[in-house]
Amino acid sequence: MNQRFVDFFKRYDFSFIGSMSAIFLVGILNLYSATHSQSSEGLDLLYKSQLIWFTISVTVAIIISFLNPKTFERFSYFAYVLTLFLVFLVMLMGKSGMGAQRWLVLGPIRMQPSEFMKMGLVLALSRFFTRVNPERELGFKELILPGIIVMIPSIMVILQPDLGTGMLLLFIFCMMIFYKRLRWRTIATLGIIAMVSGVLMYNFGLREYQRKRILTFVDPYQDAKGSGYNAIQSEIAIGSGRLFGKGFKNSSQASLNYLPENHTDFVFAIFNEEHGFFGSVFLIILYLVFFMRLIWLASSVQRFYDSVLVVGIMSIFFWHAFINMAMVSGLLPIVGIPLPLMSYGGSSMLTFGVGVGMATSISNTRNFFN
Amino acid sequence: MFGEEELVKIHKDRATLLSYIITAAFGLVLSRLWYLQVYKGETLHNYSIQNRLRKEVVWAPRGLIYSRDDQLIVDNVPRFDAILTPQFLMDNPETLQKLSKMLSMDIVSIHSILKKNSNQAKYRPIIIKKNISFDELAQIETQNADLPGISVDTFISREYRDKEVGAHLLGYISEVSQTQLPKLRERDKMDYRLGDFIGQFGIEEQLDNYLRGENGHEFVEVDARGRRKRYINTDNLFKGIEAEKPLSGMNVKLTIDRDMQMAAFNALEGKVGGIIALAIDSGEVLTMVSRPSFDPSQFSRGLTPEYWRSLVNNKEHPLRDRNIQEHFSPGSTFKALTGIAAFEEGEIDENTEIFCTGKWQFGRRPYHCWKKEGHGATNLVKAIRESCNIYFQKAANRMSIDALAKYAKAFGLGARTGISLPREVAGLIPTSEWKRKRLGQEWQAGETLSCAIGQSYVLATTIQLATAYAAIANGGKIFRPFVVKDVFDTEGELVKTYTPELLSQVKMKNPKTLKFIREGLFQVVNNPKGTAWYRRGQGILMAGKTGTSQVRGANADKIHQKCETMDYEDRHHALFVGFAPADNPKIATAVIVEHGCHGSSAAAPVAEAVITKYMQKYHPEMYLQNLEKDKTIKDSWIKSLRVNVVPKPVAAPATEGNE
Repeated sequence: MNQRFVDFFKRYDFSFIGSMSAIFLVGILNLYSATHSQSSEGLDLLYKSQLIWFTISVTVAIIISFLNPKTFERFSYFAYVLTLFLVFLVMLMGKSGMGAQRWLVLGPIRMQPSEFMKMGLVLALSRFFTRVNPERELGFKELILPGIIVMIPSIMVILQPDLGTGMLLLFIFCMMIFYKRLRWRTIATLGIIAMVSGVLMYNFGLREYQRKRILTFVDPYQDAKGSGYNAIQSEIAIGSGRLFGKGFKNSSQASLNYLPENHTDFVFAIFNEEHGFFGSVFLIILYLVFFMRLIWLASSVQRFYDSVLVVGIMSIFFWHAFINMAMVSGLLPIVGIPLPLMSYGGSSMLTFGVGVGMATSISNTRNFFN
Repeated sequence: MFGEEELVKIHKDRATLLSYIITAAFGLVLSRLWYLQVYKGETLHNYSIQNRLRKEVVWAPRGLIYSRDDQLIVDNVPRFDAILTPQFLMDNPETLQKLSKMLSMDIVSIHSILKKNSNQAKYRPIIIKKNISFDELAQIETQNADLPGISVDTFISREYRDKEVGAHLLGYISEVSQTQLPKLRERDKMDYRLGDFIGQFGIEEQLDNYLRGENGHEFVEVDARGRRKRYINTDNLFKGIEAEKPLSGMNVKLTIDRDMQMAAFNALEGKVGGIIALAIDSGEVLTMVSRPSFDPSQFSRGLTPEYWRSLVNNKEHPLRDRNIQEHFSPGSTFKALTGIAAFEEGEIDENTEIFCTGKWQFGRRPYHCWKKEGHGATNLVKAIRESCNIYFQKAANRMSIDALAKYAKAFGLGARTGISLPREVAGLIPTSEWKRKRLGQEWQAGETLSCAIGQSYVLATTIQLATAYAAIANGGKIFRPFVVKDVFDTEGELVKTYTPELLSQVKMKNPKTLKFIREGLFQVVNNPKGTAWYRRGQGILMAGKTGTSQVRGANADKIHQKCETMDYEDRHHALFVGFAPADNPKIATAVIVEHGCHGSSAAAPVAEAVITKYMQKYHPEMYLQNLEKDKTIKDSWIKSLRVNVVPKPVAAPATEGNE
């Protein structure tokens, strides 16, 4: 019994939960620093609820890690339909925040189903790609069905309107079909189509505030006090950190409130202001370690479903991290995408927990049955 | 069919490519961060400092103003305004609701203030309520966190301790107006800004350069909503941008006596007019009061529309100064100068007698004396004492108007005295040449007769009359009147001191001229037949001349009408000009009371009050001696009454009574 217990620990893959905890540790300290002086807005206690969310998420991760990966496969489509239903519910009766309907309130719990939708989509696609001609390279014909699977939720999310998350679903899809050997020729064609439709979209498909965001992205100083304000203040926060940063709890942009939303979308800017370039290098390495470990796992499993699922999970978090960092530093327009484990938010954290749990489970299966 | 493991294997290439893509993506992020934090790091770091620094003006305390006996008369007190910065309001109706409650202001009026200022830059604060109470101040300060964009502006306001007393002399300060801005910048070569306070009237205007000081500035740290906030970090936030301390304005000591001001102000209670009092041997202005008046504090504390309307709508024009900015016909007070001219020109001497029947037909026009039955045989002293019109008109008729004007001008009439106060008027002493130039007509002999008794074209200010009578008293020395004695810096070091300036010495051909004029003026007050006998006061031994100046050209039938029965606007202005003590003159004074009817009853008591205060305060021994002299004069009068009207018992001698 004792020996088996020790064996279990030797074979249990702690790398994902460990990685998650390391990034979270940085995140919670940064969140505390960004909000500690905001007692008037009632934000100074935010880090406590973030801690609770983390505890829940890790618990969920551990529970899931003991499930057989085959279970995930079995419930893939169910999870997709369920999360889709929740997104549909939001459209019917959701609570709005920041001009968009994103929240679903069930008693004391406020959910953001579009967060869970990402996981539902990844599960459904993994199953689809495993079941339907898994060995074939993907061309246009093969993209039709998965395309429908992704378009339904992304259009619904975009209509909320939450363009950022909608696009994110598409990006996740792209990364997964890339892994599922999308033909290079198709990639090139799709690239051209994306560019053309991008132009059309900008001119006809975007709402006024979305178009404004893109304009201010190109030149934020055009409207420095208005729509360009966040972008400018974010760059000021990052730049003013210089190489070594201003130090923990020393962000003036946050404590004097020049940078709004500094506990959600702009935590990365505050982190940069306080810890400078070297701090960011450290943080990005933490993320990279996590992503590389997932890619390694995707190539080391025995079952193809597991492999595709791991890539899907990796995509979710990669796109979050990359888009958030890129928009905060001015590489991309401002869209409301949180930085996993750093930004305040329960739903996002829970999704992360689920993903980490599944990855750990898959890794453990590999160890336990070899 | 592939096995599961082969499936994974054939996708390994793509997994490797994914790891490259991800690494490249984060590499891109890092290079962007390098650009921001290293390449543009210094610039953005400075931005983050500028973000939270706000340059605020630190107002220089304005110099204080003291009276000649070192009593503080103009002081500075802190003032609080509720201000709102639209940039930080964030379109919050709740904030405005709270604010309107705190300041007990209509929400509509707050909105209209905001609307009125809606075209200025959003970061510029708007004053919502000036001069808030300490209660309101405390409320705003304690609830600062719930009131984004609302703050309190503090600065030092001007307080005039005696409020309306001497307001025209002291003046007021107020914000530079948009229209003044370019003119003042040109005049002073100073970069005035809207919101700067400058002296706009009186001493405040005249000595603005001394009193103003220099504003400093400081930097304060503010949060994104413009609220002051202390935030401590390792940055040396204020390095190299040190605040500049304001330079206080200089303190000023006036020649004015505060107690005499008060006495003058009280004596003018209920009257419309002004009084000025000069030190005879220096030209120092001891008193300068005009009524109705205004409270200059109101101007610096934010003039309310109600107060402004009350000033502008007042028919008596409280903003007008009656001493240097208004001139009047001097009336009979001018007779002393006609007397001097005739005496010096040799047309009369002390024994010349002219017969007054009460009426003199000159050409086609009859000239009346104020005394219908006439004064009979009249010499110079009697003529002055009893203010005989016919005597002076007949004397003047022997001279030309230009000869008369020469003496009047020599005694300072018809030209600005040059007192260092703004907007002094010159008055007018007409000459034949003046009339030719101005009206294109030849001088008429009859006009000389009117001018001889201070009517017609003759105009003078009280300060001119006081200066002229001071010269009569001191033997012809014309001093430039001045109101500022010393200017001190804040350490109390003397910066500038003003000394008496003798403008001219009137050369008298006949040494007896002034002696007899002074004798006449003495008898006006101290002889029972004098026009101001009943106003002679106690212990001041005043000499002087009453006067009434006709407001409208009176018809013959109206000339003897009782003044008090006329419409208020038609009543004569009352004047009194004099000096004291008669045997050792120290102070000269001139009083105008608009529509006061009689110089003796309306104007002389004001002079008496001021001179009495002066004598008691500055020459108490002389005051006591003069009380004795007064007694002697009174006793001899009573004795003479007994001699003349023995059987009739006489009531107690009236020092107060009807004319």
